[in-house]
Amino acid sequence: MPEKPGDLVQGTLDMLILKTLALQPMHGYGVAVRLEQMSKGVFRLNAGSLFVAFQRLQRAGLIKNEWKATENSRRAKYYALTDQGRKRLNTETREWGKQVAAIARILEAS
Amino acid sequence: MFGGLRSLFRKKRVEKELDDELRGFLDMAAEEKMKHGMSRKEALRSVRLDHGSLEVSREVVRTAGWESFVETCWQDLRFAVRILRKSPGFTSVAILTLALGIGANTAIFSLVNGVLLRPLPYRNPNRLTMVWEKSRDGSLENVGYATYLDWKSKNKSFEEIAIYSSWQPVLQVGEPEQFSGLRVTSNYFRTLGIHPEIGRDFLPEEDVPNANKVVMLSHSLWQRKFNSDPNIIGKTINMNATQYMVTGVLPATYQSLMNQDPRGGTVEIWRVLGYDVSQPWACRTCHHLVAIGRLRDGVAITQANAEMNTISAALSKAYPKEYDDAGVVLTPIRDQLLGPASEPLYILLGAVFFVLLVTCANLANLLLSRATNREREVAVRTALGATRGRIIRQLLAENCVLGLLGAAVGLVPAYWTPKVLAGIGAADLPRLDQVHLDWRVLSFTVGVALLTGIAAGLAPVYRLSKTDMHDSLKEGLRGSGSVASRRLRGLLIVSEVALSLTLLIGAGLLLRSLSRLLVVSPGFDPTNVLSMQTSVLGQRFNDNAVVRQYFADAVERLSALPGVQSAAAASQIPLAGNMDKYGFHVEGKMHANPEEDPSAERYCITPGFLETMRIPLLRGRDISAADTATAPQVLLIGESTGRRMWPGEDPIGKRVKLGGVDNPWWTVVGVTGDVHHVGLDADPDMQMYIPHQQWPFPDGLMVFVIRAASTPAAISSAAQQAIHTIDATQPISRIMPLESYVGLSVQGRKFALILIGAFATTALALSLVGIYGVTAYSVAQRTHEIGIRIALGAQRGELLGLLLRQGMLLVVCGVIAGVIASLALTRFLASMLFDVQPTDLLTFASVVLLLVAVSAAACFLPARRAMRVDPMVALRYE
Repeated sequence: MPEKPGDLVQGTLDMLILKTLALQPMHGYGVAVRLEQMSKGVFRLNAGSLFVAFQRLQRAGLIKNEWKATENSRRAKYYALTDQGRKRLNTETREWGKQVAAIARILEAS
Repeated sequence: MFGGLRSLFRKKRVEKELDDELRGFLDMAAEEKMKHGMSRKEALRSVRLDHGSLEVSREVVRTAGWESFVETCWQDLRFAVRILRKSPGFTSVAILTLALGIGANTAIFSLVNGVLLRPLPYRNPNRLTMVWEKSRDGSLENVGYATYLDWKSKNKSFEEIAIYSSWQPVLQVGEPEQFSGLRVTSNYFRTLGIHPEIGRDFLPEEDVPNANKVVMLSHSLWQRKFNSDPNIIGKTINMNATQYMVTGVLPATYQSLMNQDPRGGTVEIWRVLGYDVSQPWACRTCHHLVAIGRLRDGVAITQANAEMNTISAALSKAYPKEYDDAGVVLTPIRDQLLGPASEPLYILLGAVFFVLLVTCANLANLLLSRATNREREVAVRTALGATRGRIIRQLLAENCVLGLLGAAVGLVPAYWTPKVLAGIGAADLPRLDQVHLDWRVLSFTVGVALLTGIAAGLAPVYRLSKTDMHDSLKEGLRGSGSVASRRLRGLLIVSEVALSLTLLIGAGLLLRSLSRLLVVSPGFDPTNVLSMQTSVLGQRFNDNAVVRQYFADAVERLSALPGVQSAAAASQIPLAGNMDKYGFHVEGKMHANPEEDPSAERYCITPGFLETMRIPLLRGRDISAADTATAPQVLLIGESTGRRMWPGEDPIGKRVKLGGVDNPWWTVVGVTGDVHHVGLDADPDMQMYIPHQQWPFPDGLMVFVIRAASTPAAISSAAQQAIHTIDATQPISRIMPLESYVGLSVQGRKFALILIGAFATTALALSLVGIYGVTAYSVAQRTHEIGIRIALGAQRGELLGLLLRQGMLLVVCGVIAGVIASLALTRFLASMLFDVQPTDLLTFASVVLLLVAVSAAACFLPARRAMRVDPMVALRYE
């Protein structure tokens, strides 16, 4: 299991966060839980790495945030995609599909 | 970007938000675990394991953005200031050293910036060129009006060509006062690209004879003499007993650069030239006008020069007797105005850069010895987890802080530069009023400060960053890596000595030049002679006889004053920056083309001039009151004139024509000693003295010379009164002892000598401190060894030799390097030397001796201290 997102393919964490937020706005813990569930426990994220990624995405204008009450009536910062973030997610997803297919072809060929 | 700025400036708030968010995250995770039956404590522990602790995560997020880099830099700076405050001794020595180097560099750079780098006050100044006729000997000549008209109509290279000549009007507003002015063609300001601030430019129809007389005023003259009268335009002012109408006032930003003679003052008033070709003074050989042109866009200066040469060749063909057909020379206006100043200034800049290098080396030396003491500090910090990069950054930050503090201190003297420089005689530098601290100077200073700090710090920083943690943490093991460090310090001393030696040799050469120059006799005796200038104006002086009588009367009254030994007047005096040459056509030795005959400096004098100036009469007789307008025309010639024109013959009784072959004959009646007219460093040229009574157009502008029994100041006011008793409306100007003119002629050299001498002294002082420091340090390091040697019976003399040898070896290496560097560099000084070779053996030898002697003293002081070492104390030290 990769312990740091650095062990992920470079830039993958950002894409995964964008994908997660594409469904609905979420707070940090929600994103972490969701990623862990969806990956069946493969990606367990450090809070530090996650929030660095949030900060990066926000400065790039791909996500925005808002303080809201959670279902357990606790205050949390909710992150949501911006239009630009949605566009980026689409192109990255396409790009990723192409790359994976290409890599698969190369690996199968040998 | 915005996010980064926000976290920098609203740090508290952003951090609290991050903390809230992280805590929320961890709490939610813990709650989730507690749902699965963990205790709160267990849950929190498990969350920390899974996701990291609050503190670590916070650090990770905070250091991710660029703003954290800025922040740690800020921390470094604050830390640097704290560290420096802890060792005030070191800090103040370092800052003073830096202030010397940076201050001197800022001062000289502000000079270079003001004089050379600031743009000239014209539109597109790089399109402006001076246009000269070239005479056969290669010298540049002014142009005659008729030639100018041909140039103007035939050329295609210039947008405009204008001409000007100097003009000294006397303004009768209040006390009559003489000004420096120019007569210019109506397109002059258009050529320069200057528009009047109020009023209008000259019109072409005003630029003809007998038109309305119109003038433009400089901003400063308008303020000073007319109280900035906004309605000045169209008003008439009275100058030289003539009415002139003011058409415009020039902007304050425009300062004329056309008259750089410090004795003449800045040009403040302009009138139209108003020539036409029919006038006798508009002829082709009447070379008294200066031409300046603006090149068309896209025309290169070489192209324009080629075209002008073609035009000039055609003119020589058409008028063979009026040109000596050598062509035309174009000089860019920048070279014309600033060229003479630029070489000395760049030499100064180079010299002061040497001082900066010495400063740098000295600081590096200081830092190196400090580095040895800081090894433990660095080792401790490394042990606590500081990375090497972070330590290097921290140390460099310290040096930058030092550099900037040094710059701040150095700026204080630099602020006063212009005044100080004007005081020690830089007055003949153009644009000295433009020298002040502007953004260019300030950025130069900051840049130099940072570079100096970093450069001086590189070696010690490198050394410290490689500190071996284990060795340094152990007590007692001192200076493990000090072999490399000692070598480095030695190298620094060698370069300091070499640089100082080079500067000292430069200063020595300049000193020798000046001392040689000051013993050159000007050919006259300036002590106790007062000079003052006057010019006659008014209707009544239209009669030549009145002018002659006026000056004869004035001289008589001046001579009769108590305390005056003798007095006389002359159309010009030597070393005063005047030039008044006339063609000298010797009977039987004239060229077919009279333009090829030589010319001689003309002094139109009253009787008694030779006596007052103490110019020796070598042969024949002096002129006297008997040489009146109706007597036969006679002249005196200088010794060189005689030798050149009549080699091996007696010039007495020979005849010459002056200024043109159609003029009458003059007979030589006497031969005088030569005087230095241009400068003490220039060989005397041809000279002649004409009786004022006999010159067909008696000069209206004359200089009185009055020999006083004591100091010239004592008779100054009496002399002015004496002249005003004849006619109170005549202006008197340039009231100056003759000695000041002699002083002015060597001022530029004194200026260079004082500055380079000051730089050399500074560099020497810094080097001596360095040599002293290195020896003292090595004595301190070897106390133990010295103690043992003494205990074992070593003679003190031997020990002293041992310690001196080490320091002096460095000095000798430095001297060798310095001599080599000087041999390579002093030739750049050649143009500033007089009667001294750039490789003058005496200078080199005495400077080397001086340097070795003082260096030996600097080594000796600390070495002698080692001799007093008590072997018992030294051994107990272990």
